[in-house]
Amino acid sequence: MSNVAPSITHLAKDEREIHQRPLDWKIINRLLRYTRPYAARRTWLLVIVVVRSLQLPALAATIAAAIKGPIQAGNSAGVTWAVVGFLALAVSTQIVAHFRQRLALELGESVVHDLRNELFAHLQRLQMKFYVSTKLGRIISRLTSDVENVRVGVQEVMFVAMVQSGQMLMAALFMLWYDWALFLVVLGLAPVLAGINHYFRRKLSKAHRAVQESFSRVTATLAESINGIRTTQAYGRQARNAELFRDLAEDHAGYHYEIASIHGRLLPLLDMNSHFFIAILLLLGGFRVLNPAIDASLGDLIGFFLMAGLFFSPLTMLGLLYTQALTSMAAAERVFGLLDTPPDWDDPPTAIDVPSVCGRVEFRNVSFEYLPGTQVLQNISLVAKPGQTVALVGHTGSGKTTVTNLVAKFYLPTSGVVMVDDRDLVQWKTKSWQQHLGIMVQHSFLFSGTVMENIRFSRPRASDREVHDVVEQLNCMDVFRRLPDGFQTQVGERGSNLSLGQRQLVCFARSLLTDPKVLILDEASSSVDTLTEMHIQQALRQLLKGRTSFVVAHRLSTIREADQILVLDEGQIVERGTHTELLANQGAYRELYHRFQGG
Amino acid sequence: MRRLLGLVWEYRSRCLLVLVQQLLLVSIGLAILGFSGIGIDFIRFRLDPTANDPSWLFGIHPPASLSDMAILATIAAVVLGLAILHAALRLWATLSASRLAQTIIVDLRVRVYEKLQWLGFSYFDQNNSSSLINRVAGDVYAVRTFVDGVMVEMIIVFLSLVIYTAYMASIHVMLTFACLATTPLLWTLAIRFSRMIRPMYLETRERMDQMVRDVVENVQGVAVVKGCAQQKAQIEKFRQSNNHIREQQHEIFWRISMFQPTMGMLTHLNRAVLLGFGGYLVAQGQLPLGVGLVAFARLLQQFSEQVGQVTNIANRIQTSLAGAERVFQVLDAPIEIRSPAQPRHLIRSCGSVAFEGISFAYNQDRPVLEGIDFSIEPGQSVSIVGPTGSGKSTLLSLIPRLYDPTGGRVLIDGTDIRELHIDELRRHVSMVFQESFLFSNTVAANIAFGNPQATQQQTFEAAKLAAATPFITRLSDGFDTIIGEHGCDLSGGERQRIAIARALLMNSPILLLDDPTAAVDPETEHEILQAVDEAKHNRTTFLVTHRLSAIRRSDLVLVLLDGQVAQFGPPEELLDQDGYLRSLLSAQVEDLGGPLDERRLAFQN
Repeated sequence: MSNVAPSITHLAKDEREIHQRPLDWKIINRLLRYTRPYAARRTWLLVIVVVRSLQLPALAATIAAAIKGPIQAGNSAGVTWAVVGFLALAVSTQIVAHFRQRLALELGESVVHDLRNELFAHLQRLQMKFYVSTKLGRIISRLTSDVENVRVGVQEVMFVAMVQSGQMLMAALFMLWYDWALFLVVLGLAPVLAGINHYFRRKLSKAHRAVQESFSRVTATLAESINGIRTTQAYGRQARNAELFRDLAEDHAGYHYEIASIHGRLLPLLDMNSHFFIAILLLLGGFRVLNPAIDASLGDLIGFFLMAGLFFSPLTMLGLLYTQALTSMAAAERVFGLLDTPPDWDDPPTAIDVPSVCGRVEFRNVSFEYLPGTQVLQNISLVAKPGQTVALVGHTGSGKTTVTNLVAKFYLPTSGVVMVDDRDLVQWKTKSWQQHLGIMVQHSFLFSGTVMENIRFSRPRASDREVHDVVEQLNCMDVFRRLPDGFQTQVGERGSNLSLGQRQLVCFARSLLTDPKVLILDEASSSVDTLTEMHIQQALRQLLKGRTSFVVAHRLSTIREADQILVLDEGQIVERGTHTELLANQGAYRELYHRFQGG
Repeated sequence: MRRLLGLVWEYRSRCLLVLVQQLLLVSIGLAILGFSGIGIDFIRFRLDPTANDPSWLFGIHPPASLSDMAILATIAAVVLGLAILHAALRLWATLSASRLAQTIIVDLRVRVYEKLQWLGFSYFDQNNSSSLINRVAGDVYAVRTFVDGVMVEMIIVFLSLVIYTAYMASIHVMLTFACLATTPLLWTLAIRFSRMIRPMYLETRERMDQMVRDVVENVQGVAVVKGCAQQKAQIEKFRQSNNHIREQQHEIFWRISMFQPTMGMLTHLNRAVLLGFGGYLVAQGQLPLGVGLVAFARLLQQFSEQVGQVTNIANRIQTSLAGAERVFQVLDAPIEIRSPAQPRHLIRSCGSVAFEGISFAYNQDRPVLEGIDFSIEPGQSVSIVGPTGSGKSTLLSLIPRLYDPTGGRVLIDGTDIRELHIDELRRHVSMVFQESFLFSNTVAANIAFGNPQATQQQTFEAAKLAAATPFITRLSDGFDTIIGEHGCDLSGGERQRIAIARALLMNSPILLLDDPTAAVDPETEHEILQAVDEAKHNRTTFLVTHRLSAIRRSDLVLVLLDGQVAQFGPPEELLDQDGYLRSLLSAQVEDLGGPLDERRLAFQN
């Protein structure tokens, strides 16, 4: 039975997102397009980068020239001039450095900023289907870590790579000029160094990923252990959990140790390489300098020594940049993937704005499937006359909420037509239609902020007076007044400072504020205390009055007072009528009703 | 702080090892540099006999019989040999440093985790869970940083600066001072900069977090946003917080791009001093070229790297102290509910429960329970009824000592539960909560959570009793399905039935059910109540419920109003009396939709 290793928590084997992908010109081009609004900055940056790649070797060359010339010759005045020259060059280098850094950072931030705006605006265009099928974490990482990786790609990879390769090239030229024979040796060492780097970086990035995965196991286990602590204690599992956790923590430490051991081999190898180079330089360089047959000077040797550093360090850096480029590429692909996700549908160009609505809603042979092949609604036909309340009842999964989703135009029917005021809903502009709509979801979702802000969410420009009127109309002024800060009470994350009943009332007020012609209400199934329940029922009656309403009902009172009850089962309407009619029917409704009563 | 030092002391031998290794590394590195310098000087000497004789180590001159090339080869060989030694030592040092860090982390993590396992419920009521998670996940790093990133590192930096300075001074004192003159400036600048920039970064973080929170809410409340047609307003809001971030970032960018080149300039200034003053000295023949000038250039670079470390250490002290405080808070929290030193044992008990004058308050000014007295015979089932907030759940949680009463005592089979070992007590009592927490593990592992030694057969039977087998067998991997994994989202009713199976597998004489149908659809409610009926056999059962059908089927009913027992007796009896139970009956029979005034009357009774 249990082929899974004992542990407190198993991490979901989610399709993991790829970490890197090969360079792709299409993606690079598209990224570059985002720098176009900042073309001036980008051009300056390019110029600066070229200048900078010349400056760094030039500084080293100045030092080498000073040593070779005046210092060795014992010319004190020459030394002074050399210092002055060096300082002048240094100042200009640092000024360039300032612009190089600032422009790159600003360019990166601008691109990130624009990308984020575009992503968010696109998200607002996408419809329910996307939100249901996409995990929140994914969306957030598009806007955060992925965009950050794109930033590094834009602001670092290209420009740093240019500076570094320029520097390498310049250093190579200088070395060639100082001593061509030694340069050949350096050239021989370069691939070795690059190879070592490449080999270990790959191992490292694998090891880093292993650490991340193991760390998410640790945090997932921690989160569950703490959220489930009451269960753990009630069942006396503390010692066993602690033991399992120790294994996990040790396992995690093992991955860190693995990284350390890779570093422990890579870094000494890099050191070795440069020390090896020094030894060769001494031996070979010394031989060439000391050999009178060869025209080589000590000053050149020292210059060569200085340049070698400038030649080798970009090798490591370019390796890092390459890895980063691949990561940025993968991130950019994901970001663009989201931007390219088309909305489920677009309003047809002929779609009209709706200035006013009577509120007649009709379903004509509507069928719907979320996934092809699994019908959620089958051939539903119904008419809700203006002002009528339609109660939807049935088992979990019978399609009640789907009916309301189609009314709200969160989805389009797979076949059949949803009509409002005798016009196909597809022909209405979605946004315009939703302005006439009031929606109350089952969990009474609130945004963090005050009660007032939440009520006003549906119509941000409503005055305090209007909000008060609405609350008065719902007859629940006293409920809000009794809150610690009245209307200014912070509702907390997802409304956690308010009770379930209070949250529902806020949602009612929020809906009523727009005076919607059509209402959709998914009643909460959990019970609230009796006093609040009475408030809610009273308010509900006010809310439903004179509006066409679709209610996924969990309250007997709502059901009994509905003008029309639709009993759904497996996506079909099995019974319809009023409460009294249906009770007399001896059918599915009667059975449900008795179960509701707890009989 | 003292405790942190104590922690360092705990790992002293490993710390010492790391320290010695690092200092050896610095010294060997210096030796390599020295020998390279000697090599250069030797070449120069051979080229230009007027230059200084290279300063041979310990005054040992190479025998005159050796040719120049042989001497150079020897020097090169020494450099290579030292380099190999350096590399080997470095590998070893990296590994011991990592081992030190990981040992501390594992120790601390496990210590904090273990502590959390035993802390009482009230601790978790008061502390936000994500902050607790962070202490085990993140804050322990901060504590570790104090050991290896602050204490050990500080000593290393200090000693290597001393070694570098000593080496440089041994070659030329004045030049050393001249080159290091800007160091204090470098130092102050770096520290001041990091003090200035840190709050700015925090501010960015804050703004980013705010933006993410907004997006999270936007996505979670997408139906509301769309339903209210507020997309435009939301886009505008997002734009603003996005601009907000950019402004803050630009502030930071400006400062960074001023600071870093300035620091770079200071380093260049040092080099210029070296070039000028050192060059002058070499020209005057007062300083060797290799051991002096070239070696100085390298050393200056390493010196400024170490100075940079000082700023990092200064920053780390702050974060590690803050983190340590949060970790120690957990480690120091008192465990409120403990087993007695000499616990008494229950012989396999029958399950009678008695409350004697129990009162309880979460905080002193607001009593939740007062003067509760009742006793239950073994095997009886009791329904606990009352309005929200009357103390029903609290009453239940006193039985397994999830909380200790403020006054009075709870007896099981005549023994005060505070005289029992906690583990034994909790094995005697199993509990199903309002909303059951299941772990992301297999269904089987969840059922066997309280009894990991249970056989497969026992697990199956518990599931069957809890009426969970039908839906479990329909899951993709049956009992091996991992809960919460893609496509396996159980409904509230299914979760509760697994929780009931979990409680049944404990096979304990007392079963507590805290409104197990609170969070499920009315349709699934009766399935759960059926499972409860099965579970009641041969057990003392407490059931918090609103359902008349369930109340009717229990032996006794206890009505709690405002923390006091209002009614207690068999259900038929109480239903005859005028009281809460009757009003509940009338409300449910009349159906909550009845005329409002009547109902209000009914509830006020």
